[in-house]
Amino acid sequence: MAQLYVVQSADFTFLLHQTEMTPGNLSAHLSKLEDAGYVEVTKEFLERKPHTALALTKKGREAFKEYRRKVKQFVEKLPE
Amino acid sequence: MTKEPNLKEIERKTYMSYHQDGLLDIFAGVYILGFGLGIFMDVIWDFGMGVIIIPGGLIAMALPMWIAAKRKITMPRIGFVKFGPGGGTSKLMAIFIGLAVAGLGFFSVFTLATVQGGSRQWLDLIFQNGMLIVGFGSLAVCILFGYSMGLKRLYAYGLLAMITLVIGHFTGIFFAYILLALGTTVMATGVALLISFVKKYPLKGDKAIAE
Repeated sequence: MAQLYVVQSADFTFLLHQTEMTPGNLSAHLSKLEDAGYVEVTKEFLERKPHTALALTKKGREAFKEYRRKVKQFVEKLPE
Repeated sequence: MTKEPNLKEIERKTYMSYHQDGLLDIFAGVYILGFGLGIFMDVIWDFGMGVIIIPGGLIAMALPMWIAAKRKITMPRIGFVKFGPGGGTSKLMAIFIGLAVAGLGFFSVFTLATVQGGSRQWLDLIFQNGMLIVGFGSLAVCILFGYSMGLKRLYAYGLLAMITLVIGHFTGIFFAYILLALGTTVMATGVALLISFVKKYPLKGDKAIAE
């Protein structure tokens, strides 16, 4: 989600290289995020080849912001 | 342990991954070579407008060629990404526009001063120290782009340009020779990076782009 948060959209190959996950693992993560309405999948043609672009939805961005806020809050409460 | 994701680092890594293919270096090297060749044609063969025509032509061809190269070489290997507003591409475009406006301003002031018979002394000073001005200017531009793009090799290019041009100024080496040497060095670095990029990310058939 962090990777998609910093871009407008990216495809599966790009996310695979950036996250260094296995295709199966990444695919499972993306399916769960799509089911939760956090990621939207757009099918298009690029250079006459089918291409799948993935992007965070508004709900996904809000959820990620909230997650960051909570982690920050948790870390701040930890003793030195 | 859960930790807060470093978004700046992820954004920097994402942006850098698009410039590890060496294409930027190859295009910059060819442009410097073209500039050197233009001066060479003007001074040695008395061509006339070489210094304007060759770099101008290269600039006009650069963007479509850059996009085509990115589509054919980079995207099938590492995938496709679209940066959002305020992302790396917009930041780079802002620097390009800023530099273009600054360059145009400098050129206009310089032309006006020349046409209206401005202080001859001032113009002579610029011409006499041309290589020093270009050398330090190159260093500044390379630092600016290197910092904003996170590409440390641009600092090395800037330093190399500055050192060779300062040496050229004091030893009287012809400007075009320095540009040809610099262009060849930058382009060769780009080719080496491209070869390593292609080896690191081999094509996996149509699947690479069609996943």
